[in-house]
Amino acid sequence: MPELHTVVCMKVVPKPEEVRVNPQTRLLDRANARSEMNPPDMNALEIALQLKDRYGGRVSVISMGPPYFEPVLRVALAMGADKLYLLSDRRFAGADTLATTYTLAQGIHKMGGADLILCGEESSDGATGQVPPGLAEWLDLAQLTLATQLDLDLDSRLVFGRRAVTGGYEELQVPLPCVVSVRTASNEPRFMDYRIKERAMQEDPITVWTADDLGADEAMIGLQGSPTVVSGLVQAPSQERKRIYLEGSNEEIVKQLLNLLREVL
Amino acid sequence: MVASLYGVDAEQPILCVVAESAPGQLEPITLELLSKGREMAGQAGWELACLLLGHENRDLADEAFAYGAQQVWLADHPLLEHFTIEAYAAAAFQAITRFKPGVTLFGATPNGRDLAGRLAVRLRTGLNADCSDLELNRNSGVLVCQVSGFGGGVLALIEAPHHRPQMATIRPGVFSRGSPDYSRSGQLLPVEIEIREENLRTHVLRRVSGESVDLTSAPVLVAGGRGMEGDFEVLRRLAEHLGGEVGATRPPVDEGHIERERQIGQTGVVCSPDLALCCGISGAFHFVVGIEKAGTVIAVNSDPQAPIFEFSDYCIVGDVHLILPALLARLEKVPNA
Amino acid sequence: MDQLEEVVIADERWERLLELTGNAAATCYQCGTCTAVCPWGLVRQEPLSVRLLVRKAQLGIPDQDGQLWLCTHCAQCEAHCPRGVNVGQVIDGLRQLIWEQNQAPFGLPTMLWSLYWNNNPWSQPPSQRSLWAEGLGLPRFDPEQHEILLYAGCTASYDRRAQKIARAVVKILQAAGVTVGYLAEEEPCCGEPARSVGHTPFFHELAERAANTFERNGVAHLVTISPHCYDVFRNHYPRRDPNFHPLHYTQYLANLVEEGRLQFSGQVDQRITYQDPCYLGRYNNEYQAARHTLGAMPGAELVEMEPSAEESLCCGGGGGRMWLETEAGQRFGDLRVQQANQCGAKILATACPFCLACLEDSVKASRMTEIRVMDIAELALQAL
Repeated sequence: MPELHTVVCMKVVPKPEEVRVNPQTRLLDRANARSEMNPPDMNALEIALQLKDRYGGRVSVISMGPPYFEPVLRVALAMGADKLYLLSDRRFAGADTLATTYTLAQGIHKMGGADLILCGEESSDGATGQVPPGLAEWLDLAQLTLATQLDLDLDSRLVFGRRAVTGGYEELQVPLPCVVSVRTASNEPRFMDYRIKERAMQEDPITVWTADDLGADEAMIGLQGSPTVVSGLVQAPSQERKRIYLEGSNEEIVKQLLNLLREVL
Repeated sequence: MVASLYGVDAEQPILCVVAESAPGQLEPITLELLSKGREMAGQAGWELACLLLGHENRDLADEAFAYGAQQVWLADHPLLEHFTIEAYAAAAFQAITRFKPGVTLFGATPNGRDLAGRLAVRLRTGLNADCSDLELNRNSGVLVCQVSGFGGGVLALIEAPHHRPQMATIRPGVFSRGSPDYSRSGQLLPVEIEIREENLRTHVLRRVSGESVDLTSAPVLVAGGRGMEGDFEVLRRLAEHLGGEVGATRPPVDEGHIERERQIGQTGVVCSPDLALCCGISGAFHFVVGIEKAGTVIAVNSDPQAPIFEFSDYCIVGDVHLILPALLARLEKVPNA
Repeated sequence: MDQLEEVVIADERWERLLELTGNAAATCYQCGTCTAVCPWGLVRQEPLSVRLLVRKAQLGIPDQDGQLWLCTHCAQCEAHCPRGVNVGQVIDGLRQLIWEQNQAPFGLPTMLWSLYWNNNPWSQPPSQRSLWAEGLGLPRFDPEQHEILLYAGCTASYDRRAQKIARAVVKILQAAGVTVGYLAEEEPCCGEPARSVGHTPFFHELAERAANTFERNGVAHLVTISPHCYDVFRNHYPRRDPNFHPLHYTQYLANLVEEGRLQFSGQVDQRITYQDPCYLGRYNNEYQAARHTLGAMPGAELVEMEPSAEESLCCGGGGGRMWLETEAGQRFGDLRVQQANQCGAKILATACPFCLACLEDSVKASRMTEIRVMDIAELALQAL
């Protein structure tokens, strides 16, 4: 039985509260924002590591991004992932989800494929949630999204997962290989293993692939490969709490409350 | 530049809403999108179509017409009886490539997002997720989508000028449902769908609804603290009316008024509901971290100095035992509030 | 009666535990005094068998049943141990083994991740660390201009209730004419939360980073809000600048009173009892500073709880327990506020943000109306 190979797609994102829109240029200013690993991707990696604990095999992490992603991505190695692949090329920049999923798919092809491909449910920046189904489509694989629990039957090459749906859940059976998106906060990611952390952060080699390494079609990557275009960008109104006091008699307050509830819901 | 399977020159001036349905009824999100779609199509001089995917679902067409659809594309197939991504993606792909709408809208529901996500790649087109507003330009036929990112800190306008169909997903509740006119009718176009059972890779073993408590996905949280003095019944009924869940701070949990699974905060559940109604809660730090990301926070507390008010959008200094029952009474009078 | 269970002594694990505990368990002769004095015996039928935990460390057996995480690091056991066993080090070693096995209790990995990504254990945005000081006119620290660096720490920076302590301290220092600055958003977490849950290597990494920051900013005299930060700065930090001199703010205030720079002209007129923080008292032998300061407040009548000083009862917040749930009916704080009430105090004075949170919680839970919890700084501000 060949060993289980799980690939986890991960993204490095800016801390959302630190991103600004420059009012003059109307461009996103994330230069001053601290970076972190996209939290749902940590949940995906945790599932991958739990599967490795149970079934053995190896875990590869793949990411599309510029070089500054590297120190953040190495955290995944410190948590127990085996290999890190960074798809990095100026031509990948400006990619929307169509181009991103295409690029990730090329990376996974070059790796020689995988048994299981895990993604976080969505990313904290764009939050489209489109990468998992899009990736599954490029790879022509089955998908299981919003998974809170996973079990494998390696002999039958099946994945059993619990999928969160409105008002409840579904229990699904899907054949390997497949793409799974992991529900945000559905587990608690393990902390880094400090016995290997130093090595993971400094010494372990990582694989960096450019568009040429992937043999990617230039028309399908980056800005070229992105149908969607941002035509306007503004800072959303302040997120500070309003602290508006409702005044009046209890009946008047209830009336105001009802109106509020109607507005909000 | 990547090209979509069909482009601007081949598109039809049709706005299509891909419907979601439960047995015998269209989901509320579909009715909302039809209403908004009718408005947008009307302003642009386009037609509104509704794609119905299901089995023995012809009756739903009447509902679609009533909410403004001028065309209903009916895909009726035994393999479409329950949602599976393979069957629905195949059917929707066949319908869309046949009718070539300029715009397709989906609900941003678990199934809607999966379907739209897969289709967008299959069609090689652009998709905008969780739009908070939409505008269809009557001259250019371009759909401009308003989307928020970075946890709501940034608002963006996004369009896909050269790719068709222009796709968007919209959350339930963003647009309001119009009033149905059951005298309306339109074109019912059956769509022949080719799907084979061996191509369905997903097997649904079991569907479970409403079993365990999941506060993290509740759109509304009605939370009670010490100030409720154990009266969680009124909160339960409020939560039911508002379509949400009941949560609590640690003291009522300790006193046994409510289960520990419903404790909100640092050592309990952290959630991000659209609305958090905090009743009789003082607002200590370890509770507040559990609801900081809530969309709107309303607090009721008799103590004007209660720290919760600092974290609230709307503050009510008052007696929860008077205000909440009164609120409940008003809600119980109005059906479907 | 303990059940007999088969235990396998594995050489590798025994060696690993030996390493992790620094052989601290070696001199224990299993007398059980530690178990007898551990406060868990006061709130539960079944005391926490500290003796058994030390035995497990001696035999190289990891603790699997979770009892290990009850320890609040109050050091009551260390204070009474006839062999001077560093029980805390044994506990930390056992905990570190659990981290290596990826079996730490739910909630603690999240806390460590927060230290890593956010520079605080409360999952709060790092960009908001300095908001507590708004409006106080507190400048960025400049070693040429400022006598001391005020080190707020994570809890006082983010917890709304604890922020009041930090703000009070700033106002008192300003009133006393002390030139003080702070590091604002650049203030590093001291790392103690990592140490308190037994993740020693991560703690060392954080301590290195913080020590570098202090060095880079020319910090010599540093005053902390929390005794936890004070303890690690004083006892567990890499030795850099020989002039690096941390103090807890109660010690600094006591000095100011001594020097006549801080004078109390307002009346306090209250019966006050003082909760000795474990990290100031038993850990650092500091029992007098807060008492001197209280004593200098006009009208303040100091009464002592039974027990107090070296025998003080822990509030229950140390050892990582601020991030773990303690069952109702088993909280040290509930017992402590009873003791405060019994000694006739109207004010229970604290000098630690954890004590403040735990004891205030207990006062509210016990529905006590006759007693109020206040921090020493809040009292001092009133007495100015």
